[in-house]
Amino acid sequence: MMEKMMLLAVGIPFIFGVGALMLPKYAREAATMLATVLNLVLCVRMYDQEAMLSLPWGGYGMLFELRQYHFSSFILAAAAGFGFLISLYSLYFMRNRDKGNQFYAYLLLSLGMVNGAVLANNLVLMLFFWEGLLGTIFGFIAIGHREAFRSAVKAFILIGVSDVLMMAGIGMTGLLAGTLTMSAIHLPLTSAASCAAFLLLAVGATSKAGSLPFHSWIPDAATDAPLPFMALMPAALEKLLGIYFLARITLDLYALQKGSAMSVILMTLGVVTILVAVMMALVQKDFKRLLSYHAISQVGYMILGIGTAVPVGIVGGIFHMINHAMYKSCLFLTGGSVESQTGSTDLAKLGGIGRRMPITFICFIVAAAAISGVPPFNGFFSKELVYDGALECHWLFYAGALLGSFLTAASFLKLGHAAFLGRNDALSTRVKEAPLGMLVPMVVIAGGCVLFGVANQLPIDNLIVPIIGAQRAAGHHFSGAPENIFLVIMTVTVLLAAYVNHMYGVGRTGNGVGAVDHIHYAPVFHPIYECAEKRLFDPYDIGMTLVQGIARLAWRIDRANDWLYNVAAVKTALYLSCSVRRLHNGSYAVYIVWTVVGAVFLCIYMNA
Amino acid sequence: MESIILVWLAVFVPVAGAFLLPPVGGVSKGARNLGAFAMVGFSLLCSCLLLSSVLNGEVVTVSLPFLAGNNLFLADRLAVFMAIVSSLVGAVIVLYSMGYISHYKNQNEYYFMVVLFLGSMMGIVYSANLILIYLFWEITAISCWRLIGFFREKTCVIRADKAFLVTAFGALVMLIGFVMVYGQYGSFDLQTIKSASAAHPVANLAVLLILFGILSKSATLPLHTWLPDAGVAPTPVTALLHAAVLVKIGVYVYARLFVSTFTIDPAWETAIPLIAGVSALVSGGAALIETDMKRIIAYSTVSQLGFIFLGLSIGNDIGLAGGLLYILMHSIAKGGLFLCAGVVEQKLHVKDITRLGGLIRTMPVTAISFLLCAFSVMGIPPFGGFFSKYMVIAGAIKSGNYLITATFVLGAFLTMIYLFRLFAMVFLGEAKTTPVAEGAPVMVGSVAFLAVLSVAGGFFISYPSVFVQSAVHQITGVVQ
Repeated sequence: MMEKMMLLAVGIPFIFGVGALMLPKYAREAATMLATVLNLVLCVRMYDQEAMLSLPWGGYGMLFELRQYHFSSFILAAAAGFGFLISLYSLYFMRNRDKGNQFYAYLLLSLGMVNGAVLANNLVLMLFFWEGLLGTIFGFIAIGHREAFRSAVKAFILIGVSDVLMMAGIGMTGLLAGTLTMSAIHLPLTSAASCAAFLLLAVGATSKAGSLPFHSWIPDAATDAPLPFMALMPAALEKLLGIYFLARITLDLYALQKGSAMSVILMTLGVVTILVAVMMALVQKDFKRLLSYHAISQVGYMILGIGTAVPVGIVGGIFHMINHAMYKSCLFLTGGSVESQTGSTDLAKLGGIGRRMPITFICFIVAAAAISGVPPFNGFFSKELVYDGALECHWLFYAGALLGSFLTAASFLKLGHAAFLGRNDALSTRVKEAPLGMLVPMVVIAGGCVLFGVANQLPIDNLIVPIIGAQRAAGHHFSGAPENIFLVIMTVTVLLAAYVNHMYGVGRTGNGVGAVDHIHYAPVFHPIYECAEKRLFDPYDIGMTLVQGIARLAWRIDRANDWLYNVAAVKTALYLSCSVRRLHNGSYAVYIVWTVVGAVFLCIYMNA
Repeated sequence: MESIILVWLAVFVPVAGAFLLPPVGGVSKGARNLGAFAMVGFSLLCSCLLLSSVLNGEVVTVSLPFLAGNNLFLADRLAVFMAIVSSLVGAVIVLYSMGYISHYKNQNEYYFMVVLFLGSMMGIVYSANLILIYLFWEITAISCWRLIGFFREKTCVIRADKAFLVTAFGALVMLIGFVMVYGQYGSFDLQTIKSASAAHPVANLAVLLILFGILSKSATLPLHTWLPDAGVAPTPVTALLHAAVLVKIGVYVYARLFVSTFTIDPAWETAIPLIAGVSALVSGGAALIETDMKRIIAYSTVSQLGFIFLGLSIGNDIGLAGGLLYILMHSIAKGGLFLCAGVVEQKLHVKDITRLGGLIRTMPVTAISFLLCAFSVMGIPPFGGFFSKYMVIAGAIKSGNYLITATFVLGAFLTMIYLFRLFAMVFLGEAKTTPVAEGAPVMVGSVAFLAVLSVAGGFFISYPSVFVQSAVHQITGVVQ
């Protein structure tokens, strides 16, 4: 029974997804809703049950193996919930937009791929579904508008490169472990080969979650892709998938030790991701672009938490993953409702709509407070756990994360102020609240942010602690109010500082958009931001320049090689035939001399 | 007995039947076209009928009494696999030709050469001795020379001459290698050599000479530049050269001789992947600079052949199976890419991608088929190419040579980038030409069929994979 349900969880979205591509308007919406509801019911029914399935597939250890257990069923249920809410939201958002058939098809196919990747118990099968997302992400972005394909190509290549690296990691892991079955792999991180394999897998996992350096497609996609895509993929499903796999490789496939080189590398990656992305988020002038940089920055906390390899950090990292999926998709949805009601996401053009769109505004406040780590919302508790883990490793990591928190809070104060408050007579007279179908998903998710904060023992004790196992969790207490009062005091101080900073900025420039201009145009930062805006730091552009260099070199080699055939060989042949022709000058005497000389050589050769 | 007849039919129906096509074409064009398709299809059918007996582990050998110990033909799993791949893609290409070639002169010659070409490919595939391999090898060189020069313009003829000279020169060098092998073992018969070379490996010089011939046919650096130049041929011909026949001859003969028959020095397991890796990188880079649509796809073939050679030569079972699967998936997808390019070329008479764009709006089926085939070549799931690429890379990892692995991982990046660049420039963005409708139904149908096959190759991977695994067992002599 459970085996069949696992197959259905992969199959239903696939079949309905292909159907949505072909069905006419209204029928495809109905099919999408039916599929997401079925998927949700199925995933909830499957929750916390165990099952395994193994079918022959590609050979050489590549089996069609699915495994349903606590962790995978948790991710599955969360993904199904987001899938349902966001397709409900899309019914209204996509109503007057074209290419709806492709949109719903990609939505369902992505859902099927995520289900498959989470359920897979074989590394190659997981990669099959994981990398399959490439096609749907490309399609999702490309249907945005006519020029959106540029961002789509960028996304495709960045994700594709990280997936190929992960493919190499999977090959190495399979060789080291002698099997590709995930539940049978437990490798120590001692040899150089295992560290390399671990790093390659981690590159794949963290890139899927959106961390540096394969991140730069996300802000571009935010402006080009249809908005529900941002709420679904980079905000929710990709985080769930990427962090799920990162947790799997650090907890199950490899044994990451506290203080080891690998742990330090992961934590450094986490902190760098937090700081770089949040610095970029701070100065954005577009609602969606600002959010997308936070979608990158927050991954840093998860990687930092899991990278600490101490129980409290891991619990915090995983808790932050589910919290982030909630508040970030909620934020994107509020952004979408602002976009569809006002027709713009440019912060300079927005403002004064808080009163006209009260429910959207309240949802925004809840989610923004959650992402900034304001108690008692969910983000506060998960960040405290991550801080606790980071501090246990080294204070530097903690300080970096805390600075990230300050900047996050500052940028959300700016965003909320600029978008919803202030005066904007043009908007504040005509804007109406979003339709009910768009409000319900926002309110449900925002409610979740409150619930997971106030009653955080619910998710932590039931969902997350079982993942790390009773053995690791023994003697720790993760849920409830944070135990370390020092951390709480620091967090509150930082939040207050962010507020003071905001008031200072607003006082300087007189509006919400300019709230962080004093940081943006500060002496050291300004030139750096200038370069960043010229995309000098974009890893995609740097990589492409590098590839162009390789390509030009290859082209030279190829042309030189061709020259050998087209010129060198032809000239040599001509030269030889001309020289031989010159010998045949028609003179009998010369011919006789040649004959005699030849005969003499022949005689000498025969006698030798 | 029945299997023996099937082998004869698979080879000689197209080889002999090809000579009937020009006279038939004098009477009725439709009959000639259908006849050509029927011959290739019949050959495909014969190979498919051989499946059951080779899957039972039978090795069909065909010999004539007066040849004294030299077998003529041999059908094992490897041969049947390759025959099916070639004739399947070949049949689709012949079908497509009916739409493409219908406006041009010299059609009789075209169908004659195409069927002869495919027939001699069958001959090579089923050959049981070196002489027969050489014989059919040269027949393919002649028919490919005629086909590349089909348009009779000066550049076409010169390019055709170049292709012929390079491959024929390679074949002559290879023949010297064959003679050296004969000198070493006293036989041209593959099975005799196989048992003899187990004790005494083939001399390195002979391997080098034969390899020279193979690389010239399979367009691997530094013998590859004739292949992009051959893009002047009619598109079905380029598809035939790249996907079904010509370049696959080289990799097949490599698998037949060096993997399945000869025992060679293990040093080649490092040397050949290195050559293949350099070839994959250089041609992948060149594909990024090139602006002619067909030349880009041609460079892509050179690059992908590197992956096939890597799989076949790396010396472990997963790599070998990956290499064979790669032949299948690449044939299907690359055939599809060329035929899509042919639809564009025939409709617009433009091959320069800087002057193309936005075609997805007027040619949606061609564009989507192109994208699906490109995904398969890139190795993106759920397309067939994913498995072959994974298995080849896994083979490289298993060999323990990280330099080779890294080279091919870089090659895989390049594949993604140049194919995406091509797709984006031709089909996306602003239209730069006058809008044109889709191509002829038979052409668009053929490309869509290949695209669907690429998808099916991923979803139903277990069928080709099981067959390839059994072929690998047979080649490496592992008892199942």
